[in-house]
Amino acid sequence: MNTSPSGSRDALVEIRNLRFSRGERLILNDLSLDIPRGTVTAIMGGSGSGKTTILNLIGGRIKPDTGQVLVDGISVPDLSTRELFELRKRMGMLFQTGALLTDLSVFENVAFPIREHTKLSETLLRKVVLMKLETVGLRGARDLMPSELSGGMARRVALARSIALEPMMIMYDEPFTGLDPISKGIIAKLIRELNRSLGITSIVISHDVPETCLISDYAYLLGDGHIIGQGTPAELQKSNSEYVRQFMDGLPDGPVPYEYPAGDYLQDLMEEAA
Amino acid sequence: MLRRNALELWVGLFVAAGIAALAMLAFKVGNLTTADVDGAYRVTAQFDNIGGLKVKAPITLAGVRVGRVARITLDKERFRATVEMQIDGRYNNLPTDSSASILTSGLLGDQYIGIEPGGADENLKDGEAFQTTASAIVLEKLIGQVLFGKASEMNENSNKGNGKK
Amino acid sequence: MNGMVRTLGRVVVEGIERLGRAGLFIFDVVRGTAELRSRFGLVVQQIYAVGVLTLLIILVSGLFVGMVLGLQGYNTLVKFGSANSLGLLVALSLVRELGPVVTALLFAGRAGSALTAEIGLMKATEQLAGMEMMAVNPITRVIAPRFIAGVVAMPLLAALFSAIGVLGGHLVGVGLLGVDAGPFWSQMQAGVDFYGDIMNGVIKSTVFGLVCSGIAVFEGYDAVPTSEGVARATNRTVVYSSLAVLGLDFVLTALTLGEV
Repeated sequence: MNTSPSGSRDALVEIRNLRFSRGERLILNDLSLDIPRGTVTAIMGGSGSGKTTILNLIGGRIKPDTGQVLVDGISVPDLSTRELFELRKRMGMLFQTGALLTDLSVFENVAFPIREHTKLSETLLRKVVLMKLETVGLRGARDLMPSELSGGMARRVALARSIALEPMMIMYDEPFTGLDPISKGIIAKLIRELNRSLGITSIVISHDVPETCLISDYAYLLGDGHIIGQGTPAELQKSNSEYVRQFMDGLPDGPVPYEYPAGDYLQDLMEEAA
Repeated sequence: MLRRNALELWVGLFVAAGIAALAMLAFKVGNLTTADVDGAYRVTAQFDNIGGLKVKAPITLAGVRVGRVARITLDKERFRATVEMQIDGRYNNLPTDSSASILTSGLLGDQYIGIEPGGADENLKDGEAFQTTASAIVLEKLIGQVLFGKASEMNENSNKGNGKK
Repeated sequence: MNGMVRTLGRVVVEGIERLGRAGLFIFDVVRGTAELRSRFGLVVQQIYAVGVLTLLIILVSGLFVGMVLGLQGYNTLVKFGSANSLGLLVALSLVRELGPVVTALLFAGRAGSALTAEIGLMKATEQLAGMEMMAVNPITRVIAPRFIAGVVAMPLLAALFSAIGVLGGHLVGVGLLGVDAGPFWSQMQAGVDFYGDIMNGVIKSTVFGLVCSGIAVFEGYDAVPTSEGVARATNRTVVYSSLAVLGLDFVLTALTLGEV
């Protein structure tokens, strides 16, 4: 279609001909995409198009029906539980709700993965946690409880937690959803900066077109279970494809229909109530 | 979230209280004695009839409880009942010629084993058996004996009466 | 008619599927407990949440149950001239049956439902998923400590219930109704057997602990991650735990009395 995403870089995540169904519903159908190392790559699409499913497949929480999922050359569905856990230590994930542990303070939440997986001394651990919190600008909030945080702050704490073990990649599940414009701007800035300063790869799942286009190097558009458009944000803005246009412009009707399938309108009205 | 120390204190108190309750139940409510816990030894005795003796029935000496009945089995060759008894370790100086009898507590109460000490120099040890035993008194047999005795007495008197004539 | 039969079949199949999931889950939990030797602090924390916080309701209920036993028992025994056996009656009723069973029912209602709600909410707010993605096994970190805490706390709570119940019976019988304190305790001590009655009660309450904790953590873990789903799961915990306790009580009692 347009330029390939990799260019000169190799891909950290490679997905080939992925097929995934839940029960009888086919969610992903012959999906293929590459996530190049060191970039911020976005996967956009309407609600329920299967974006979060892709993240879960990369993280090994679910297995595909057929197809390949490779992370850093390792085939994720074939890993044993222990190997999977080892791989996950190198992946960070930011959930839509932050998913902070509600009975731990902000400090303890960020310290959690460090405590679980390393034997760092308390003094060293404290320094690391404070540095991570400083990166997201919340060092002063370290003694607050998650219930005392706003949505944006909670997500920032979760971000600090996901970089605690210096992963090679971070997956962001709808990081902008439900935030006010200022908080959106903060998160966007953080995603971009962290990607650069830590030298990691970021995968952003979103349906917030303006914000996502600002920060991504490359984007995929998901629809009907497979890729219906891809390219740099600039390329997508200029695309002629109907699918891409409807999504990028936010048109209410187009290839993705406005109306839920229903019978004849007049007939429905004329019928007596059952 | 409580502080670490307060938390551990409460949990420690809780567990200690629970164990104390268990101990209170065992010793004050139940009949556990420290001797039950260690040193108990087993002896056996054979009876023609154990009557209503049940497992866990008490074994007394001079009216003081010294043990309990552990097991009751039938000796198929001698057609007698074998009673296994568990005696407190404190009372380990029962002479070997002591006797074990099955007695009834009160007139119609539960049955238990009473030990009469003998005079031998050696003491009963774990695994040994009582040589002298007295079986339970079966009420029907007792009544039958009394009636039989009365009947023969009357018979004698009437015979004597006849004889005198 | 056809519809009803099919519904029945579906319910049974779903029920068996659930049972299978529960079995596998419990197996994972037990395996997880083995790894807890180095994380004892987690278990201590949960024993507090599950044991210490249930203590108040257990002690108050135990006291009242004991006192009622004293009243009711006296009322009946005195008609046969056996008021002196009141201590024996109260102690046996508590140690053999009421202690383990009532404690288990109260536990299921208070601690069991709290466990289910907590775990269900953690599932609904993606905290369990978050842990998985941080390469921390939520079964070892979250579920297993709560399970063990329940199993450990239950016999202790039952013993406390029985102990305070006996004291309650004493309070009413000897204190209020004038039963002689001497025979109250001596008949009790003569009649309550450590192995047969007290250990039996301990075994019962341990089994109940396994069952109630198991059901509580499973229902929480298996809950539909919405607020309605968690509410239904909590309901299921209380109902299933209570039924299981009462059913098992019959089975265990029959086994130990050796009559069946």
